[in-house]
Amino acid sequence: MDFDFSDDQTQLRDAVRKWVDKAYNVDQRRRAVAAGGFSASAYQALAELGLCGLYVQYAYGGMNMGPVEGMVVMEELGRGMVLEPLAHTWISTAVLQAFAPEDMKFEWLPRLAAGEALLVLAHHEKGARYNLNTCQTTATPVGSAWHLSGAKSLVPAGDQAHGFLVPAKVNGQLALFLVPRSAGTVTSHAYQAQDGSRLSELQLTDASAHCISADGLAALQLAVDVGAACLCAEAVGLMEYTLAITVEYMNTRKQFGVNIASFQALRHRVADMKMQLELGRSMSYYASLKLHAPAEERSLAVSRAKYQMGCSTRYVGQQAVQLHGGIGVTDEYIVSHCFKRLTQMELSFGDSLHHLGAVSSHMQETAGVFA
Amino acid sequence: MDLAFTPEEQAFRDEVRTWVQAHLPAQLSHKVHNALRLTREDMQSWAQILGRKGWLAYAWPAQFGGPGWNAVQKHLFEEECALAGAPRIVPFGPVMVAPVIMAFGSPEQQRRFLPGIASGDVWWSQGYSEPGSGSDLASLKTRAERVGDKYIVNGQKTWTTLGQYGDWIFCLVRTDSSGKPQTGISFLLIDMKSPGVSVRPIKLLDGECEVNEVWFDNVEVPAENLVGEENKGWNYAKFLLAHERTNIADVNRAKRELERLKRIAKAEGVWEDMRFRDEIAKLEVDVMALEMLVLRVLSAETSGKQSLDIAGLLKIRGSEIQQRYTELMMLAAGPFSLPFIEETMEAGWQGDHVGAPHCATLASTYFNMRKTTIYGGSNEVKRNIVAQTVLG
Repeated sequence: MDFDFSDDQTQLRDAVRKWVDKAYNVDQRRRAVAAGGFSASAYQALAELGLCGLYVQYAYGGMNMGPVEGMVVMEELGRGMVLEPLAHTWISTAVLQAFAPEDMKFEWLPRLAAGEALLVLAHHEKGARYNLNTCQTTATPVGSAWHLSGAKSLVPAGDQAHGFLVPAKVNGQLALFLVPRSAGTVTSHAYQAQDGSRLSELQLTDASAHCISADGLAALQLAVDVGAACLCAEAVGLMEYTLAITVEYMNTRKQFGVNIASFQALRHRVADMKMQLELGRSMSYYASLKLHAPAEERSLAVSRAKYQMGCSTRYVGQQAVQLHGGIGVTDEYIVSHCFKRLTQMELSFGDSLHHLGAVSSHMQETAGVFA
Repeated sequence: MDLAFTPEEQAFRDEVRTWVQAHLPAQLSHKVHNALRLTREDMQSWAQILGRKGWLAYAWPAQFGGPGWNAVQKHLFEEECALAGAPRIVPFGPVMVAPVIMAFGSPEQQRRFLPGIASGDVWWSQGYSEPGSGSDLASLKTRAERVGDKYIVNGQKTWTTLGQYGDWIFCLVRTDSSGKPQTGISFLLIDMKSPGVSVRPIKLLDGECEVNEVWFDNVEVPAENLVGEENKGWNYAKFLLAHERTNIADVNRAKRELERLKRIAKAEGVWEDMRFRDEIAKLEVDVMALEMLVLRVLSAETSGKQSLDIAGLLKIRGSEIQQRYTELMMLAAGPFSLPFIEETMEAGWQGDHVGAPHCATLASTYFNMRKTTIYGGSNEVKRNIVAQTVLG
């Protein structure tokens, strides 16, 4: 039982933080949002730091690191509200490594690790909410390959990606496919999300695809578990930042002749924000440390963490705006952007009620971290 | 970073578990598992069983006769005791006054007092709060006047938990009124059998007399019973606060009680009610988040590599959770929580119950647990302290 970070992990954190401070300050982020919410050069910079291949094994040109290193990186990217969907690269690489045939791994993993290709998860469909098995997209075999038809929603950087991880039904069973972007059969319509990042609607019309796994549910579950664990870590970094700017504001803003930090009603909210941050951080550790556990245990751990994180992000976000007063609801001041990003995190990879439902239906007689 | 305990820690846990299973009397664990009332003999007999093994002083360093365990070992010991249904160690002797005597007491005081605390033979009480001094403890007025080689103590303490059983009481007393309130307080050890000490139990909302008023009427206390220096008592009390341990979160008991909540919910037919079960699920996540918080503090204490500013959160969250599980147990029983028939709360009651036997104590326990966010520094005071670390 040990929650210290190794020297290597601390160095990794420092390197990512340094890059965020240099390349992703508030003004730079604002420009990235105005430019559409995805910056190819920023993504390339992440690749140059080696981060795209963080999960990728040495044999495929990656860094062969684990979930704790991933958590460290995500905390720092969360602090800077980095828009580029690095987590989706980790989802893709984790899923390919665990499920894909060898030739597909050799074709994609080195390029993903180098940042030369971007592969994102395209699993949302209208009417499915967070239910992974609800899927209207269908796959039909064509020789040794497949054709996929259907529509996917809310695909991160969907107009920039070189390919997609797409769940589709084969004879009523869910399978997971890799769909390379190709003109004509794959069309995307891009727009921005509330947090300024870039999303797309995706239309597949007999799009050529390769099967990653016939056990689509297992592969997709791994994908969303990795995604949710990444989000938990990002949320920790962003909550920490949000609390810090709130504290700074309260120690500067004067009303009734004194800093508003002197008012007890406000101080207690700060104490409760700190509580939610630390409960969230604790469960983020828990989720990341369970990512290598057997699938059922892993998913339950992620649900527990994501439920906590939903409560934490909502509280910290709402209170940060409240404690800033009027300036908290302006576009000009950064805290409203933190709030929107924190809110978006709760709604991504399963919201709080969804994960509470998973916890509730899987409760055992015993309880606790080691039960 | 690693969630698993080391093989050595696991072996230690097994050793404790085996010993507790062999030595914890079944009638005691039955009472604890069912929240039945504990007598003085119940509490003291377990203390003495631990004392004979040398484990009542489980948090003490080896030089004072403790086992010298590290933070993780202490936690594992607490967890095994809690899960097995052992009565909680009454903290006033081994956890509260002993560390002060070790840190600030004379060698003579250490020789005189520590063995009786470690064996569980001497019952200590705490004399801090007064009718006019709750959260504002430093305003306390109980006076101790030095006359020759004695102090003459006059005044009143209150909320003295289990003081009706006390052999000795450690008190904060006023020895100087001239300066700031904090600078005129001394730490005095008083034999409760001294002439002039009287104890009056206070009946609480659950019908039990868990706390007391303690009156001092010209009580003569030998000057040798002063701990440390005169007028430095506030520092010693603060020292205790600064060394508050993770056990204050009581997460191990929360895990045990969460299991009991699930059993009660099943027996009462609300387990299949999604609205109710989701409330239990929320509590389950709350308990796990608290446990992870505790483990982070333990890890940092053990390795010394991280300085965390989260220990102040433990009491706030732990007490909220204690209140919540008692609340949910009461709600699970619904209207059958309503009867207040005291004999049905005693172990060994063979007569009729109105509802299921487990219903008898649920509301009383819920009422009783409102104390947890009030005592030991109210949660509002604790939030002030957390806010201080965050905001300056």
